[in-house]
Amino acid sequence: MSLDFDRIKKFLNLRSGNNRSVYYLLGIIIIASIFMSMLDPNFFTVRNIFNVLNQQSTLGIATLGVTIALIAGCIDLTIGNVLASTAAVAALLLRAGVEDGWVIVLTLICGIIAGGINGIIVVKTRIDSFIATLGLMSVYQGVALIIPNGNNIYLQERFLWFGTYRVADVIPIPVFYFVAISIVIYLVMRYTKFGRKLFSIGGNPEAAYLAGINLDINKIIAYAISGLLASFTSLIVISRIGQSQPAMGVSYPLEAIAAAVIGGAALSGGKGTIPGVFLGVILLGLIRNSLNILRVPSFYQYVMLGVVIIIAVALSNIGAAKKSVTHN
Amino acid sequence: MLLEVKACSKGFPGVQAFNKVDFDLYAGEIHCVVGENGAGKSTFIKILSGALKPDEGTIIVNEKEYSHLTPALAHNLGIQTIYQEISLAPELTVAENIFMGHEPVNRFGFIDYRTLRQESKKVLENLKIDLNVEAQVKHLSAPERQSVQIAKAMAMEAKIFIFDESTASYSKSEIENLLFLVKQLSDKGFGVIYISHHLEEIFSIHDRITVLRDGNKIATHGKNEVSEEKIISEMIGRDVCKVYDRQEVEIDFSNAVEFNNFSNGGSVQDVSFKIHKGEIVGFAGMVGSGRTELVRLIFGADKKSSGSVVIEGEEVKINNPKEAIKKGFSLLTEDRQKTGLVLEHSVEWNISMVHICNSDGHFINEGDEVAKVTQMVEAVNIKTPSIKQVTRNLSGGNQQKVVLAKWLYANSKVIIFDEPTRGIDIGAKEEIYRLMVELAKQGKYILMISSDMLELIAMCDRIIVMRQGKKVVEIVQDEINEENILTHSIGGTI
Repeated sequence: MSLDFDRIKKFLNLRSGNNRSVYYLLGIIIIASIFMSMLDPNFFTVRNIFNVLNQQSTLGIATLGVTIALIAGCIDLTIGNVLASTAAVAALLLRAGVEDGWVIVLTLICGIIAGGINGIIVVKTRIDSFIATLGLMSVYQGVALIIPNGNNIYLQERFLWFGTYRVADVIPIPVFYFVAISIVIYLVMRYTKFGRKLFSIGGNPEAAYLAGINLDINKIIAYAISGLLASFTSLIVISRIGQSQPAMGVSYPLEAIAAAVIGGAALSGGKGTIPGVFLGVILLGLIRNSLNILRVPSFYQYVMLGVVIIIAVALSNIGAAKKSVTHN
Repeated sequence: MLLEVKACSKGFPGVQAFNKVDFDLYAGEIHCVVGENGAGKSTFIKILSGALKPDEGTIIVNEKEYSHLTPALAHNLGIQTIYQEISLAPELTVAENIFMGHEPVNRFGFIDYRTLRQESKKVLENLKIDLNVEAQVKHLSAPERQSVQIAKAMAMEAKIFIFDESTASYSKSEIENLLFLVKQLSDKGFGVIYISHHLEEIFSIHDRITVLRDGNKIATHGKNEVSEEKIISEMIGRDVCKVYDRQEVEIDFSNAVEFNNFSNGGSVQDVSFKIHKGEIVGFAGMVGSGRTELVRLIFGADKKSSGSVVIEGEEVKINNPKEAIKKGFSLLTEDRQKTGLVLEHSVEWNISMVHICNSDGHFINEGDEVAKVTQMVEAVNIKTPSIKQVTRNLSGGNQQKVVLAKWLYANSKVIIFDEPTRGIDIGAKEEIYRLMVELAKQGKYILMISSDMLELIAMCDRIIVMRQGKKVVEIVQDEINEENILTHSIGGTI
C-alpha cells in the first residue's frame, strides 16, 4: 500500500500562512530524538516516550487555550493562577464529598467564568491585554490563596483515576486528553466560523470589524476557552499530585506562550496552528527530558531551556523572514 | 530672500510629481500655494522638509545652494513644517514640548524648570497665544496643539514656517485664530508658506499665490492681482480627456436609498442625499472634507449623532458594520491594507471573510468556499498563483480586487467605494470601472468617493460635493465639469 502523501499533506495543510514551522519542528524533534537515542539507549523506549508525553500533556492542554487567545490577538497570562484557583475549588469539593462528575463540571464552569471575566475586562476597559492579564494574574493568585485559606488541600486518595489511569496499562490518560483536545480544537479553528473569526480578529481587527465581526464577544469566548482549559489542566494536576497547592502553575504562562510561539503563533495575533503548538509543547518536553537524561543539574536546565526557546523562536523568525523576502 | 527653489523636479514611477518648479519666499511674506489633489503640493513640502530628494534643481537658503535637503539640514536651516497631525509628546506639558530637545539646564546638567516655564511663557506671549504652560498637551484641543507646535518651531529658531492644510476640520473662529497667528509670524519677519484648499483663507492672508497643477508651476500672482475665478481656471486648465468611456445604464428612478441628516457633531454635518437603483453617485471634495467620515457613519463603523437610512421605502436601523452588512451594505474602505485586508492571510480567507462571518450556521463548508472563491477570483480577474497565496504578496491592484471580490461575494444592494482606484495601475483601474458599471446594471446602488476628478466625471451619474463636513451642492449631467466641482470644493464663488 502506498501512502497518499499529497492527501496527508493536504489534510495537514494548516493554512494560516506559516505551515512551515510545523515541518521545521517535526525535523528538529526527529533529529533531537535520534541524537538522544544514540547517547542513551533508555531514551527511545515506550516508557520514556509516554513519560515525556504524560509530563507535557498538562502544559499542552493549557497551551492550547493560550493559543486560541493569541490567535485572536489576546495575551492570557492568567492561566497559571486560574489553574491554582480552580484546583483549590476542585479539591474543596472533593473533600466535601461531592461526586467526581459534579466536581469536574463545577470546576470547568469556574474556569469558564474566570476566563470570561478576563475577556470582559480586556474588552471593556480597552487596556492592553498583556497589562490587563498581568494585573489579573495577581487577582487569581489571591483567589488561589483565599479559597483554601492558604493551605494545601489533600485529596485523600480520591480522584486518582482522572490523572493517573493508564489505558491498556500503558498509555497515561492525560496523553489521551491532550491528543483529543488538540484534535477538537484543530477542527474548531479550521472548520468553524468561530475559528475563522478569531484568525481575522487577530490578523486585522479593523478589517474584521468592518467585515461585520463582533470583536468583543469573540474575544471574550476565546478567553473563556483559555480559562476552561486551564481548569481542565488543574483537574489532572491535582489528581496526579494528590493535592491542590496555592502556588501551583506559576511557570505555566511563560512556558505556554513560549510553546505557542515556537509552534508558529505570533504575539501580534492572527497566526498559529494547532499541530504546530502540539509539536512545540512536545519539543519543550523533549528538551527537558534530554537534559535530565544527560544529568544536567536542574539549575542549569532553566538556563538551557530559556536559550533553546530563544533559539527556536529566532530560527522560525528567520525562516519566516526568508520566506517573505523570496516572495517579494 | 529667505528661500529660493530653482528648476526643481521629482519623478515617481509613472508620474512626474514635480516638474522644473521655481519658487521663492521673502522674509515677512505669506506665500500661498494652491492646487488640486495630486497637483504636487505634498511633494513640494517633502522636498523642503528634506523627506524627499529632488531629481534635479537647487534649493537656496541663506544664499547657500543645496542640491537637496535632509530632515536634519532643513531643521538647522530653520525650516519647520506645521502639520495638523502633530509631533508633540502628549504626556508632557506645553513648556516641555516647546523646548523639547534643547531644554535649559542648570549647572549640574538637570533641567531648569523655572527657566523652562519662563522662557515658554515668553514665547507664547510673543505670539499672543493664551495657554497655560503647565498644561499637558493631551488635554489641549487640536488648534491649541497647533499653536504649541508653532511656539515650538519659534523656540527652535525657525525662519520659514510651512503650513499644510492646517485648518481642516476647524471651526470658523479656530480658523480665524490660526490665520491671526500666521499673520503675526509674517509681521515678525518670518517667511510663511501656506498651503490650503480654502480660497477664502488664502485670499484673506496672502502676499503672493502660486498655483500648481500636475507637478507644474502654472503662475505666481502678487497681492490683489488675481480673482478667484482666475485661480480656479488655472488649477484645472487642462484639456478634458475622458479617462474611461463607460456604458450607459438605465436608472430606475422609482426605487431609491435615502440617507437623511447624517451628522457626527464635527467632521460631518447634516448630510442628506439619495441614490437611485442603478445609479452611480460620486462624492467629490478636497482631502479632509468629511467624505470618508460620512460613509463610515452610514456603515455604522463610527458613532453618529444623527442620521437615518430608508431603503426602497423601508427605514433600516444600522448601529454597527454587522447590521449594515445584514441590511445589504458594502464598504470598500480607502486604505485596503489597513482596513480592508488581513494581509497575512490567504486570498481565499480574505475573499470569504464577509460571507463566512455573516451567514447562518457555525461550520465552514470548505468545498463550497473554495469553489465560490475561485469563481470570484475569475470574475474580477485577480492575478494570483493560487487562492492560498498570502495576500501581502499581491500587487496593489490585485489586493484591491481581493477587497472587491470579498464584497461582491457578500452580494450587497448598496455598495460604497472609497477611493477604489488609489495607487493602482491603469489596467486594474479600468477593470474596476467595468465592474462598477456591471454592478449598476444589476440594479445596485453605488456610491463612489474619489479625489480623482476626471474619474468621478467619467463614472458618475450625479456628483455631490462636500466641503468642511457639509454637502455643498449636487451636480447633475451637463453641469458636471471640473470647474464646477473644484469651485464648490474649495469654496470659491461663481
